[in-house]
Amino acid sequence: MNSAKVGVASKNIAATVPVIEVKNLSKVYGRKSTAFNALEDVNLKIYHGESVAIIGKSGSGKSTLMHLMALLDKPTSGSVKVFGINSTKLKGRRVNHLRNKYFGFVFQQFFMNSHDTVLENVLLPLKIAKTSRFKRKKIALSALEVVDLESKAKDKSINLSGGQKQRVCIARAIVNNPKVIFADEPTGNLDSGTGKKIVDLLFELNKKGTTLIIVTHDEDLAALCNRQIRIVDGKIVSDTRSKRTIKKEVR
Amino acid sequence: MKFFDIVKTANSNLLRNKVRSFLTILAIFIGSFTIILNSAINAGVNDFIDKQVASIGGDGFIEVMPGAAIEQMMAMSETGSKVTKYSEKSGSMLSATITNEDLEAMRAVDGVNKLEIFHILSPEWMRLDGEENKYNVTLQYLPTDTFNLDLSAGRMINNDTDDFEIIINEDWLEPFNFEKAEDAVDKTVEISIKKTAKCYVVPDDCLATVKAKIVGVQAPGVLSMDGDLLVSRALDNKLYALANEDIPEESLQNYFAVGDVDPDKIDEIREKFKEIGSGYQFLTVSDTVGMIRTFFDVILAVFNIFGAIALLAAAIGIINTLFMSVQERTREIGLDKALGMSRFKIFLSFSIEAISLGFWGSIFGMAVSMGIGYFVNNLVHGEDGLLADFPTFDLVRFSPEVVIPIVLLVMLIAFLSGTLPAIKAARKDPIDALRYE
Ligand SMILES: Nc1ncnc2c1ncn2[C@@H]1O[C@H](COP(=O)(O)OP(=O)(O)OP(=O)(O)O)[C@@H](O)[C@H]1O
Ligand SMILES: [Mg+2]
Repeated sequence: MNSAKVGVASKNIAATVPVIEVKNLSKVYGRKSTAFNALEDVNLKIYHGESVAIIGKSGSGKSTLMHLMALLDKPTSGSVKVFGINSTKLKGRRVNHLRNKYFGFVFQQFFMNSHDTVLENVLLPLKIAKTSRFKRKKIALSALEVVDLESKAKDKSINLSGGQKQRVCIARAIVNNPKVIFADEPTGNLDSGTGKKIVDLLFELNKKGTTLIIVTHDEDLAALCNRQIRIVDGKIVSDTRSKRTIKKEVR
Repeated sequence: MKFFDIVKTANSNLLRNKVRSFLTILAIFIGSFTIILNSAINAGVNDFIDKQVASIGGDGFIEVMPGAAIEQMMAMSETGSKVTKYSEKSGSMLSATITNEDLEAMRAVDGVNKLEIFHILSPEWMRLDGEENKYNVTLQYLPTDTFNLDLSAGRMINNDTDDFEIIINEDWLEPFNFEKAEDAVDKTVEISIKKTAKCYVVPDDCLATVKAKIVGVQAPGVLSMDGDLLVSRALDNKLYALANEDIPEESLQNYFAVGDVDPDKIDEIREKFKEIGSGYQFLTVSDTVGMIRTFFDVILAVFNIFGAIALLAAAIGIINTLFMSVQERTREIGLDKALGMSRFKIFLSFSIEAISLGFWGSIFGMAVSMGIGYFVNNLVHGEDGLLADFPTFDLVRFSPEVVIPIVLLVMLIAFLSGTLPAIKAARKDPIDALRYE
């Protein structure tokens, strides 16, 4: 099974096969005396075009769940299927390709190469994807335009404000035109005005078919999503859908 | 990530920590510099020795004497001028000549390619054809086809023809009024020799004159023939025949033979020669030159050990530098991996960083040692320099065959040193790396 097929699969059977399917997922950190159950027996299916908010208190396991779904981490038990393929069956190379081409990430703590320029940071996924020099620069600049930061392209990332860094991270997350965006507190550092712009941008992408998975504390942002998953101490306590955004019931 | 991008990233990472990279490169530089300069000196000295050895016949060249002659000579030098009692063993010098029979027996020994009676001819004079000034000269014939003379002009003597050919050395250029060695080539000289027997009878008219062509000019060398000029077999025969005209063959005194043997069979040949006639002994070039060579080899080996130790220290420096680099860039590596960069590319990125350190260190080592080598060569060739008389000899000799393997070796060492940190980087878990503060 090659990665091109993964892409094709996502288009053809988008409505019937979950983009991400999680079964009996558990994550234990540490061993024996220090063992800590960060996630316990989580089950969930996320379909193409959904916008999902994962809500919960600090330390409840939201980021852990997101990392597992994005194949950044390996579960202690249980499985993650991406576009219908069991992740344990995928070779490292395929997983890398998947993350690079089909996923976009906004991490909770920015994660930028602070000594590089803003532009360099944004085009990193394209550089890894072997996009040509000229093309990646062009795409990265238009991504920066979307987050209103094209004027800062040549600046060192370290000199940006917190909110600007957040926007750079969002530009980086969308630069590869991903199928799924994983965003961990994407508006955490933004004032309400800029925050709204970013939210609008994300939902615009969602309208065009990008699946959104947003980890947030912000109830208002969560309410904008068509689905809210609440986590308490590593367990899903509720999974609700706002009726107005449900297009198709697949269950 | 494209290969070019990886190389670029690796190099910009090196530049990020300029001082640290510089110090590591400095350590590599010291090691490479020592080894490269050493090898260049080794190449220069060995080339010089090889050329000199070749100019007196190469490794297969032997000088044969009757064993009795050697004993007599030793006995003579021991007793000095003292009158010694006659004893039956010590015959006259005459008993120690090489007989034709023995010569044939020695020629038949396995491994002997060539063996010929060697004479040093002392003509009365030599002059340039058509000129007035006459000069003293000593001539000798050697089986020159096994030789590789260091010539500054012209060619080797050709013994396959019956031409009278001679090779002069650079000392003759001035008396003959030649500006350059090239000017002497193809000029004719006149050589005059005494007919020994006739001179007893008609002392006033006993000179015979022969014309010979200068075919080459020998460059100066330490092991050259003590000023003797080389002549072709035909010329040697002619002059020898003239000098010994009317002298009966059994009265001819042949003390030496020279020849060319298979260098690998020297020991066996030595044993066999002892059993021929009343016993023959010989000297090889390596008997004399071998010691010089060993001496240089030992010195250079010691310096190479220093160089190797410096490189070992440099290798540890590379490991340390890269471990620090991996540590510092933990989050960056995590991000790269999270965004889909493969383990191999991350490994490659750090390996290239290591190889670059090795490359720059050895390139600087090469550049500086070449600079010093050039300076030293100029110095020794200067007016009062050690090697002022040997313009064709460079003390320090750089050739791609010597330098490039060393540069590559240093890069390989750097790569190997870098593998441990590079593997560590490649194995980092993206999430753990991203959590790293
Ligand atoms: N590598 C780790 N080793 C040990 N414990 C960990 C590790 N990573 C996370 N944890 C623990 O797992 C729990 C869940 O962490 P997680 O980061 O998923 O929380 P979160 O819901 O994202 O919280 P926040 O909203 O503060 O970001 C926390 O109690 C945390 O201490
Ligand atoms: Mg979190």
